[in-house]
Amino acid sequence: MSAAIEISGLTKVYGAHRALDGVDLEVPEGSVFGFLGPNGAGKTTTLRILSGLASPTAGSGRVFGHDVVASTSAVRAEIGFLPDVPGYYEWMTADEFLRFAGGLFGLSGEALRGRVDALLDLAGLTGVQTRIGGYSRGMKQRLGVAQALINAPRLLMLDEPTSALDPIGRKEVLDMIASLRGRTTVFFSTHILADVERVCDRVAILDRGRVVAAAEMTELKSRYGGQRFVLETTGDAPVLIDRLEAEAWVTGITQLADGRLSVTVSDVEAAQRALPAAIAVLGLGLKRFEPGEISLEEVFVDLVGGER
Amino acid sequence: MRGFGVFLGKELREIGRTWRIWVLPGIVLFFAASGPPLAKITPELLSSLVDTQGTGMVIQLPDPTYVDAYLQWTKNLSQIVIFALIIMFAGAISAEKRGGTAILALTKPLSRTAFVVGKLVSHTVLLVVTTVVGAAVTWGLTFVVFGEAPLGPLAGATGAWLISGVFFVALMMLLSATMDSQAGAAGVGLVVYLLLSIATVWEPAVNYSPAGLVNAPTGIAMSESVPLGWPIGATIALAMLFAAAAIVVFRRREL
Repeated sequence: MSAAIEISGLTKVYGAHRALDGVDLEVPEGSVFGFLGPNGAGKTTTLRILSGLASPTAGSGRVFGHDVVASTSAVRAEIGFLPDVPGYYEWMTADEFLRFAGGLFGLSGEALRGRVDALLDLAGLTGVQTRIGGYSRGMKQRLGVAQALINAPRLLMLDEPTSALDPIGRKEVLDMIASLRGRTTVFFSTHILADVERVCDRVAILDRGRVVAAAEMTELKSRYGGQRFVLETTGDAPVLIDRLEAEAWVTGITQLADGRLSVTVSDVEAAQRALPAAIAVLGLGLKRFEPGEISLEEVFVDLVGGER
Repeated sequence: MRGFGVFLGKELREIGRTWRIWVLPGIVLFFAASGPPLAKITPELLSSLVDTQGTGMVIQLPDPTYVDAYLQWTKNLSQIVIFALIIMFAGAISAEKRGGTAILALTKPLSRTAFVVGKLVSHTVLLVVTTVVGAAVTWGLTFVVFGEAPLGPLAGATGAWLISGVFFVALMMLLSATMDSQAGAAGVGLVVYLLLSIATVWEPAVNYSPAGLVNAPTGIAMSESVPLGWPIGATIALAMLFAAAAIVVFRRREL
């Protein structure tokens, strides 16, 4: 699989602040890639450099092989971009704005008409004659995704597309993004973990200007979190905790508020055999034995949340 | 210059569909329409003002002519209209940067050069069309009010002022590309206007710089001989320099 985005040693310094600190990242073509990080991690800066709005202090970025500094025209021809706070000519209608955007890509006539109609339909804005100034945030965000698709881009870059939306608006935009799977590469920055879990197949976690993890979703969870078992027993839990902490395949134990134990393990098969056995050996009763996946939120907090 | 035509089309439509169509044209047409009648009644107004104060003083004013109407027009252009232009155009580029519209446009195949030139051309078109229409209104009403309205002095005075106007359009594009603050850019623009006005007391500046065009419209309207070669050449050269600098500055800025 070829790379849609290749970032190497990307650094951006604003005065004394190091917004990006040697970011290395590869986004495979065809993926829906979540670029996850807390506010201020450097997600927007990365997207601004990739789209030619800002220059790196050091390092390089390539989009489908085109250098983002030296070949901005070639990059722009390949991408669709939605900034975190999109600004519109509010006197235009959605139809007019999409025609303007298409015109900048050299589209005209029937080709432009057809694409505008299709995108208005995708954004749920067909027949809306209100000027953009009168739109809700959700409508503006859906229009934002639509305008970013006007050139049928090979790479769609979305900066926090759902952060300011209510639950319905979020769902609508995420549905739009999910519908693009297999049609284009989506590079999607956010700090909302649930959005990434819902639509992305790959993810990178950025913290303080550095990529701290990058992998497929399932691989990331197993690499950083493994599996988890929730146990509810009768009897002396501290004794069980002491016993489990000695096992090599146990990576963490947390006693939940209701007394249950959450045991994180690195070897699922070993845990499936040994956990019930350990409970039996200690003469405890087993009321609940519930396997479950580590959520992305837990991985995220584990990777970036510890020092906050 | 990729995307120039599409962007210029957007700019011209924007003028027609937003507040821009009302402000500068509104000011220019108001003064164009009110100038000739005001020139006609000004002596009567002054006389009646003196009479009502009962001082017994008698003011003898010559009968107003078309020249007075033309002087009203050039005075308004050189003061109120140029102020309006400076303030209105001070956010031409920075407002798009602040509002985020520049980002959506410039992440498409629209070059930053085309963006700045599109702004420059559209604002110049607005200025020229507005001024020409205003001059035509002044000419027509002057003819109606005074019975004579020679075209030459009015056209010459308006043309000389328009060159100054384009100079200020280019200056405001540079300031707007350089500064994020519209108020800041307007302030610097007004300072430049003030400096040019002060420079009119220094003869070399009048003969060889844009300061020569500050009072030139008045002289032309009065059918006086005004040296224009160097001032026009210097003004056009500086306007082109400002435009080029605006492009260079905007291309280097991060958005």
